[in-house]
Amino acid sequence: MNRRIFLRGLGGAALAAPLLSSLREKSVKGQDAEAPRRLVVFFTHNGCLTDRWYPALEDGALTADTFTGTTLAPLSPYASKLLLPRGFKSLNQYGTTQTIDPHDQAMGSKLTCATINDDTTRYATAESLDHTIAKQINPGGVDPWVLTVGSASTSIKEVISFSQPGTAFPATANPTTIYNQLTGLFGTGSSTGTSTTPAADYHVQRGKSVIDLVKQDLGRYQKLKMSSQDLKKVSDWLDLLRTTETMGAVPAACAADAATQLGVTSDTVKAASGGGGFGAGLATAFTAGGDMMQNLMALGMMCDAQRVMLLTYPGYVTFTWDGMMHDADHHGLSHRNGSVAVGGTCHAGVLDMLAQIDNWFAGKFARLVGLLDSVTEGTGTLLDNTATMWLQELSDGNAHNTNNLPILIAGGAGGYLKTGHAVNVEGKTVGGGNSDGDCSGTDTSVGFNTGSSTGNVPINKLYVTLMNAVGCRQADGSKVTAFGQFDGKDATAGITNPGEFASLTSAG
Amino acid sequence: MSSWRILLAATVVTGCTASIDGAPAGTGAAAGISPASGTGSNPGMSGGTAAATGSGAATGTGAATGSGGSSSGSGGSGGTASGGSSGAAPSGGSTGIDTPACTPGIPATSQIPRLTNAQYDRTVRDLLGVTGLSASANAAPSTLLATDQAGSMSQLGWSAYQTVAQMLSAQVMADPTLKANFLKCTPTGDGSACLHDTIVAFGRRAFRRALTADEVSTFTTLVSQGAQVTADGTPDEVAEVLLNAFLVSPSFLQRSEISETPDSSGHYVLSGAEVASRLSYMLWGSMPDATLDQMADQNQLTTKAQILAQAQRMLQDPKARDMVAAFHRTYLLMGTNTRWDSASHDTSLFPGFSTAMIPVVAAETEKFFDKVVFTDSGSFQDFFTSTAGFVNAQTAPLYGLNASDYGTDLAPVALDKTQRPGFLTRLGFLTSYSSFNRTSPILRGAFVMKQVLGFDPGAPPADALNTPLPAQSSTLDTNRKQVDAQTSSQTCASCHHTFINPPGFVMEAFNAVGQWQTAEAGTGAAIDSTADVVIDGNPEHMTGPADLMAGLAKSAQAQRRYADLWVNFAYARTDNSIDACVVNDLAAKITKGGYTVLNLIADLTQTDSFLVRVPEVSQ
Repeated sequence: MNRRIFLRGLGGAALAAPLLSSLREKSVKGQDAEAPRRLVVFFTHNGCLTDRWYPALEDGALTADTFTGTTLAPLSPYASKLLLPRGFKSLNQYGTTQTIDPHDQAMGSKLTCATINDDTTRYATAESLDHTIAKQINPGGVDPWVLTVGSASTSIKEVISFSQPGTAFPATANPTTIYNQLTGLFGTGSSTGTSTTPAADYHVQRGKSVIDLVKQDLGRYQKLKMSSQDLKKVSDWLDLLRTTETMGAVPAACAADAATQLGVTSDTVKAASGGGGFGAGLATAFTAGGDMMQNLMALGMMCDAQRVMLLTYPGYVTFTWDGMMHDADHHGLSHRNGSVAVGGTCHAGVLDMLAQIDNWFAGKFARLVGLLDSVTEGTGTLLDNTATMWLQELSDGNAHNTNNLPILIAGGAGGYLKTGHAVNVEGKTVGGGNSDGDCSGTDTSVGFNTGSSTGNVPINKLYVTLMNAVGCRQADGSKVTAFGQFDGKDATAGITNPGEFASLTSAG
Repeated sequence: MSSWRILLAATVVTGCTASIDGAPAGTGAAAGISPASGTGSNPGMSGGTAAATGSGAATGTGAATGSGGSSSGSGGSGGTASGGSSGAAPSGGSTGIDTPACTPGIPATSQIPRLTNAQYDRTVRDLLGVTGLSASANAAPSTLLATDQAGSMSQLGWSAYQTVAQMLSAQVMADPTLKANFLKCTPTGDGSACLHDTIVAFGRRAFRRALTADEVSTFTTLVSQGAQVTADGTPDEVAEVLLNAFLVSPSFLQRSEISETPDSSGHYVLSGAEVASRLSYMLWGSMPDATLDQMADQNQLTTKAQILAQAQRMLQDPKARDMVAAFHRTYLLMGTNTRWDSASHDTSLFPGFSTAMIPVVAAETEKFFDKVVFTDSGSFQDFFTSTAGFVNAQTAPLYGLNASDYGTDLAPVALDKTQRPGFLTRLGFLTSYSSFNRTSPILRGAFVMKQVLGFDPGAPPADALNTPLPAQSSTLDTNRKQVDAQTSSQTCASCHHTFINPPGFVMEAFNAVGQWQTAEAGTGAAIDSTADVVIDGNPEHMTGPADLMAGLAKSAQAQRRYADLWVNFAYARTDNSIDACVVNDLAAKITKGGYTVLNLIADLTQTDSFLVRVPEVSQ
């Protein structure tokens, strides 16, 4: 079967790209008959106003009307492709087994289901989900893309990806860096059957000669009496070079014209990068920069350059774009008082501002979903072959709780997931939380009852389900049954409830 | 509580309750060597990245061994350790703290840390003269690289190195001036003779060591393939490919130490070039200069005296100022995504503040440290006593000065010594460590206790953050009283009332935007800026900020903390019992007085680990 990737009309107000007039559709040799499966995590900080985010429906078929009146309204057009899992709690909730800053805890444990170091780094003590999955489903097992907008940081406040225990894998912030990797793939799709030009010949030979030289350099290091850690770095580098050589044909769709259709050109990338990723204003980073990262993610899928991608939006920023002119940062607003402190006096208009932020993020998630759904791949779209999950740091930002965690997944990873449904995994009414419990009406004092107590199913089983959905398997070929160090309040108890959630799958 | 005794370990690991009543719990384990760096992130010159101050290795009780000669310098041998820790109260005249035990030896290090992005930029600057990529809007090269990370090379990271190498090699060859930094000869004929010389000469600089014959042969082979790897095979085209190959070579991208010449102790003796590289990346965050290369090639970097002479020379170079500034950003926890770049205050309460001041007060702080270290040849103590200020029209009113006397640029000024001694009394710290609409004695006090004094109160109990601040009332008519009440429960008070709040209360003399205040804004109640602050294990009654600053300046605990952070920063290691010997030594010199910061930095090059290395511990 020919694998096809092409751009459909990129509709919607979110993207101003012209409709594609000539579709690239060429046979590609050496590709799997089946389109690749992928995982995308869209990550935002400081929780949300849960009671305005969640629709009333907790279990059952989603329709466009489901989201009416919620901050998720921008997702309405995609209801049939969404899975709304209800009732999950991400580990390790503050206060249950570790007493460390709740933001550090939420970040470090978010994608690891592990404890975090009790040192100044607060890094997780385990590899994160994106790396675990990338090792299995990326060709050559290369590491995932971890992207952010604005500037990158190695602070645990902004790090959720860990390449190994205690080792942060900080995000890449500059769209140009991603763009350069992808343009390196353009035109290398030699599978189109066209003969290579002499110019291409020397370029290819140059690349090969230089890589040979790098290999020889690394080979000399391997002969030294090095520590195992140093040797591993050398051998991993060599593996990366071999992987790059044996990646196989690049899909024909991976070309400059496809990039242009996605709004990705040298000029637009530069504009979105602010001339190199830094110095651009925060507003540019969050709007043009973030949108460009989304476009590059779609292009990365078309080039099959990457199957595991994270996109994070930093949390300690003041929203002053797209009609928002806030006077305090998102974190301060999440505490309702405009500052890093808790309690105190409600910041004027705080709930409206938080709702604006939630709605803005929903719009950005919808943009990504729409973009991926606009590119045909095989018999479906990029979105259909991907599990694209909006994951949040916290449930209610003021309460710092991680139970009743807002999660929304778009696309079924090739039909594996039960899209078009809300699925309550807790088996009892979870509710929307109590975020409006303070600073509403005449209440001017920030209290601590904005969280909720329901929705306590450990998130591990969701991750297990996602791993199976994107094609991870155990060594014997059977489905994955466990992820993380533990799945309860007691970190020493290990995994007590293995297996995926059948109810989240299309078979369930 | 007369028997307070804070035992300083290699890293202080003491909870509030554990540190009272002698024998601290949980500090008895022998120190393990933190597998050093592995992070590839040296000297933190990347600015803004997390400081490498991980805790972990806590040394045991008592029995401090003198450091011996591990840090020779000028006369600082052992003997700084006090006796065993019995839990008894320190006798009169004592500093009140024990000097931690240390283990003589040499910490293991990775022998192939990758250049950090900041080091990459500086190395490219010094190697090729390039500071901005013409193909990328003249942005610094590292803006196109992946973010620094400690693990193995990532796919994106490798892709980015290759892209930037291509951009750099094309840019250099297109510009005659830059090209001269690469090619020292004019190719004639097929150019092979000139390119061979370039491989040897440029390779020496790019790899920070002489190439082996095998390596020269490898690059020569590439040159001989010129016709196959370029369009026309011209010498310039081939030279561009050669430069590209150097710039993606692991030996360029890594700070490699490959000498395996053993000494009598089984350590590997660093080659002259490796010593030069350690010196230059520590003091400049960049590659060695011609003088260092020459010294290395002439075997003139084999004694501590020779290394010290070079270090002292290098500290006079402007490149050293960048490094010292980067260290103090680490010391102050400055950078992106920190309190320093996100200060936010209610401008209806504090009309003198605007977010436009954030970079101004950060610059003010950096100028302060630069002046004390370089202009004044100052010491640690001066950081807490200097009245050096830098003020512009925007910040002048907050210092009680006339805005009309200043322009937009920061101008040097001597501030009031009774109100503004030292960096903690400057707007930068005071505005950053405050809440939105009020001061935060907890934030300020915790900074003083943890970051300045190195006291780690441990993690707060669960729900600590959910403890409400009681509303202002007729009895709670100051922010101080409100915070005191907020932290009055038993679980909070053990840390807050004894350790954290008091220094913050002293700093109540400054409002949330750093103005001197004598009355609470909302109520008019008098500000009380007196408190008993625990310094070096003893509660000392402080009558105001100047008193507190004087106390911090002479605190052995604060002095050791500063030395400890320098050692972590310079060696790119987290605390370990071996480096603790160096820390002890430097701390003793600070305590003795008259010890300039520049001398301290130079002494960091006087350890045995600048002459030999031991392999990283395999795990």
